[in-house]
Formats: sequence, C-alpha cells, structure tokens
Amino acid sequence: MRTDLNPIVSVDEVSIFFGSARAVDGVSLEVLPGEVLALVGESGSGKTTLIRAIQGLQQVSGGSIRHRERPEQESTDLRADSGVQMIFQDPTGALNPRQTIYDIVAEGLRIRRDGTDEEKRVGDALARAGLRPPERFFPMFPHQISGGQRQRVVIAGAMVMNPILLLADEPVASLDASIRGEILALMRQLVDDTGLSILAVTHDLGLAWNIADRVAVMYLGRIVEIGTTEQILENPQHPYTRALLSVVPETRRMEQQILQGEIPDSKRIPAGCRFHPRCPLYRSGDLDEGIAARCTTEDPHLMLGAGWHAACWAVDPQTK
Amino acid sequence: MGGAPNNVTETPEFLLSVRDLNITYQTTRGPVPAVRGVSFDLESGDSLGLAGESGCGKSTLAAALLRLLPPGTTTSGEVTIDGQDLFSLSPGGLRAVRWTKESIVFQGALHALNPVQTVGRQVCEPMLVHETEVSQKAATEKSRNLFERVGLTADKLDYYPHQLSGGQRQRVLIAMALACDPDLLIADEPTTALDLMVQAQVLALIEELRRESALTLIFITHDLSVLAYVCERLAIMYAGRIVEEGPSLEVFRQPAHPYTRALAAAFPTIGDPSSRLSPTGLGGDPPTPGALPQGCPFHPRCPLAEDRCQDEEPGLRVAGASRAAACVLI
Repeated sequence: MRTDLNPIVSVDEVSIFFGSARAVDGVSLEVLPGEVLALVGESGSGKTTLIRAIQGLQQVSGGSIRHRERPEQESTDLRADSGVQMIFQDPTGALNPRQTIYDIVAEGLRIRRDGTDEEKRVGDALARAGLRPPERFFPMFPHQISGGQRQRVVIAGAMVMNPILLLADEPVASLDASIRGEILALMRQLVDDTGLSILAVTHDLGLAWNIADRVAVMYLGRIVEIGTTEQILENPQHPYTRALLSVVPETRRMEQQILQGEIPDSKRIPAGCRFHPRCPLYRSGDLDEGIAARCTTEDPHLMLGAGWHAACWAVDPQTK
Repeated sequence: MGGAPNNVTETPEFLLSVRDLNITYQTTRGPVPAVRGVSFDLESGDSLGLAGESGCGKSTLAAALLRLLPPGTTTSGEVTIDGQDLFSLSPGGLRAVRWTKESIVFQGALHALNPVQTVGRQVCEPMLVHETEVSQKAATEKSRNLFERVGLTADKLDYYPHQLSGGQRQRVLIAMALACDPDLLIADEPTTALDLMVQAQVLALIEELRRESALTLIFITHDLSVLAYVCERLAIMYAGRIVEEGPSLEVFRQPAHPYTRALAAAFPTIGDPSSRLSPTGLGGDPPTPGALPQGCPFHPRCPLAEDRCQDEEPGLRVAGASRAAACVLI
C-alpha cells in the first residue's frame, strides 16, 4: 500500500431505497490507494447496488459518495469519471464477437474522442493485461482466444482508460476453475505494479484470501464487519461472518453453523440488530440479558474509520 | 436383458455399473467425442463425486446414465442399472427405470421448473405418471412429506416457481427427484448458482437424506472442495476421460495427477499462508472435445510434461491403495 492514505473513494452513510425496499441502508466505506478491498455478501445483501452507485449508475437516496480528484500531473484531457472502470463477470458476454481485440480495447478511448497515441495505448493496455506481444492480438476476434485471454481483454479495455479504481463484480465467478487463478494473479499484479485500487464484489471468500488486503462483509444492506483479510478470515468476530466462514468447505475444521432460512426481504428489515432473528449467539440464549435486550431494540452501527469493526452488541465494545 | 448366464454373478451386485462408455456427438463439423472409455461401479449407498471443467464430459455422462442424450448421438459400452442393460431397454422399460430407479437434479432450478404450474402439482406429476401413488390425494400427501424432508413448509406446495427463492426452488427439485423413491440420485451442479449459506443448507440436506435412506449419489461439480466433503469417492474428468479416481479426501489433499493438483489449488484453503496473496492458475483452456491434442490431452497445459507425453495417451494406473491416475509420471 502507498503511504498516501487519502481515500480514492469515500462512501459516507449511503442509503439506496427502491420504494420501501432498503437495498443499501447506511453504509460507510473507504477504498484506499493501492489496495484490494473485497466486498463480500450473499445475494440480497446490497453489494452490487452499492458498487453501481460508486460507478455513478445508481442514484443514492441518502448520504454521499466522494471520489478523489485526480492529481494534476496525471490529468490529461480525460474526463474525471474515467478514473473508475468496471469489469464484469462474464467475459464472453462482455465482448462483441464481431469486433477485433484492438477495436474492443480502443472503444473507450474513441467514446471519449481521445485519439492521441491510440495504437500505443491499446498495445500497452494489452501488454499490461498479460497479452504479449500485443500486436499479435490486435486483429484477432474473441472466439479465437481462450476464456482466460478473453477476461484479460476485458481488463485491458478497462486499463486503457488509465483508471485509479477498478470495480470488479464477481470477476472470476463464471470462469473455469483452472483459469480463475491466472486472472486473480493478474488483478493482484496490476495493483502491485501500478498502484491502482480494486473494489471486488464477491461471494467467494477464497478470492478474498487470494488477493484482498481488506474485507468488508455485507448483510441486508449494511456492512456488519470490516478489517484486514487476516482479521476477517482467520479470526472473524461478527456471528454472521463466523457462520459464513464455517460453511466454506475448505474451512470445515471449524464447527459448521448453518443458519436457518435466508436473508430477509429488504422491505422488512428486522428491528434492533437486523441479524438477530438468525443469529446463533442471540438464539443460543447464552447472552447476557442486557446485551440480548439491545439486540432486539437497538440497531448496531459501524462508524467510518480505520481498523477492525464488527456491528454487534455482543462482540465489539466499540459498537455504537 | 443381456445374456442369461450373466444373471448369476460372482462379483458383488452393483446398483450401477458403467463399462467402457464412449459417447460421440454427431455435429455438422464431424464427430465430437465427449466421453471416452469411462468405467466405474457403484454399490448401493455409495457416493461418487465427478469433477472437471466445462467440456470435460461430466454432464454428458450424467445425461447418458438416464438415456437423455440427443438423437443421433453414438454410444458404445455398457451401462447396467440394477442388473438391467440401460441401452437395450424398451421405452416402457426405460420409463420404469427413470424416476423410480434413478432420477436427476439439474442445475439452474429456475429453468427446470414449469413457470405456469404450482410446484406442488409438479412434484405430484411423476408419482401419478409412474403410478407409485394411486391417487391425487395420496400423491399430495407424499408431496407434503417430501417438502417437510427438504425443509419447505407445506404451504409452498401452492406456490408458483417465481414466488420462491433460488434455494427454495433447488429444494423443490430435490423433492421432485425423490418423489418416486429412487435408488440412485444424480445431482448435476445442484448448488453452483446458490449462495454460500444456501449451498451449505442444500449439502446438509443431501447428507441427511443419504443417512436416512440408503440413497446412492452421483454429485457433479467443478468445485472439488465441495465434493471432497459430500462424497466418499472422487473421479476427476479431463477431455472425456477419468484421469484420477480414489477416496475423496485423499484425492483432494494429495492429488496424484497434475491436473487434479491444479484443480485443487484453484480453491485456496483459507488460513493457508502459501495461498495468501498468491493465487495459482494453470493457464490455457480445457481442450475442445472435437480437437484433442495428441498424446496425453493434458500435456499442453501440464507443468510437468515431458517429451513422451506427446506420444501416447496414458491409461489409468495404480496410484496407491484404491487409487488410480492416468499419468506417465506415476
């Protein structure tokens, strides 16, 4: 990580409502320069809605999202919003089968009417994404390259815009098992070589272990625990994170805690701690009476700040 | 069916026996071999995990075990289910085998259900068609029990598929597959589209069903770590063949074939320092079934490949107690 810790993006108490559904319900989060932050959660946790808002594709109902201004020396005639690029889950669907690799990668530049040194920049982006020598790939079509190479082209298409933040929505979920590793290795390498930041949305805790510096765990529109990857994956504190980790097949040395039912509807968020109806700690009946009472009446809330936090009355004394 | 003397067997009675099975799709570009010389046996109550990447032939194999292959597909070899030769069954005989002897849970629960029928009616249907239940009333009663077994409340019988979550739909499919009390359940990627916690619920359900009844299971996925804990034995497929086979945890933890090693490493062990910030991948794509490389089909991607690997395709050889792998380095 760089020593300059001015966040690339600050998400401050952001809420996103769809009618009476509170998809994102008061989330604060910072992405720091040169880090990979994994935003982990199940379907319905609000993680995809949140990154759509960070990308500017989704209006927020409350709170604010602030992007850091690009430093002057980096600024070209690019518009500031090209500093955030997105890579999607399915590379085959993301690439136009009738376009050459060159045209696909150059497309972002052309949309921005930024033709300076196009060929060099396309070549550099492909090389950075590990497609070398880039000239060999210029005239090829997506069906002529492998699945791993297609995801590299998607990444090159993002890198050609010289982004400071990559948003990755399940970047390896649709890839074959043996290809998954090479793409994760590339993402980590881009961060280490260029100081780029990546916010990766995933339900895959192995991805976090493979490439993330920090992990944030979302449940029903809220971040319930955040910390370094080691803190969250090796020593989770929030009962939801603990349950999630206990059912990863590779970590079955822990006693399995299979939660009953599914994430509740975001139109009917439980009162008090939103996790308490499914919480193994609360349901065990072993909690101190005073704490158990808070679980059903007071909403534990994570404040924005560095270090480890869990939104739980029972485990984190700093919970407010 | 089959030769009369075979009815007196000296070997143990297998519920399912697959012998040198070859399946070739006929396409406009010529024949495409999808499964090449696969053999295995399952005794009643066994569980086998089949793992491999897209195009390795695992789903083709599953479809063949129910004779669900598209017309024009060429098959050779033998599949015997409960003593009956599957490929020579009459349509009536085949109907008697499907659902009651063996049934399948497909991936993609949304597409496998009829959107305009209640799920209760869909679960009743096989029981009525196969006459395992005598009346609509009895079938509904059985559905109620099945729903309870898979963790769904009986009121869900009146729901349409779109009113259920992905996990609930997957449970409906499992209930449906169990409707006629099959001996063998084939589960083709039943948890791939599910969230971690829902996946854990479904896996726990399958384990419980196996404990309660002597259900025999074939579980198919590309996620080795799931199979290692659900199944007793594991078979790894590559380019249409089984390239490694053995007890699950041993194969997962000490893979013998270089491909199994790569597949196992693709899913890191959380807490293992060697995989922290260092993801490992193989590179390249799984081969296209229509254009397999010469020699060992894995050699172009194999980190240990030698010159001789280009010459001959190795067969399965002994790789430890009740283990086998198809690699010349063993």
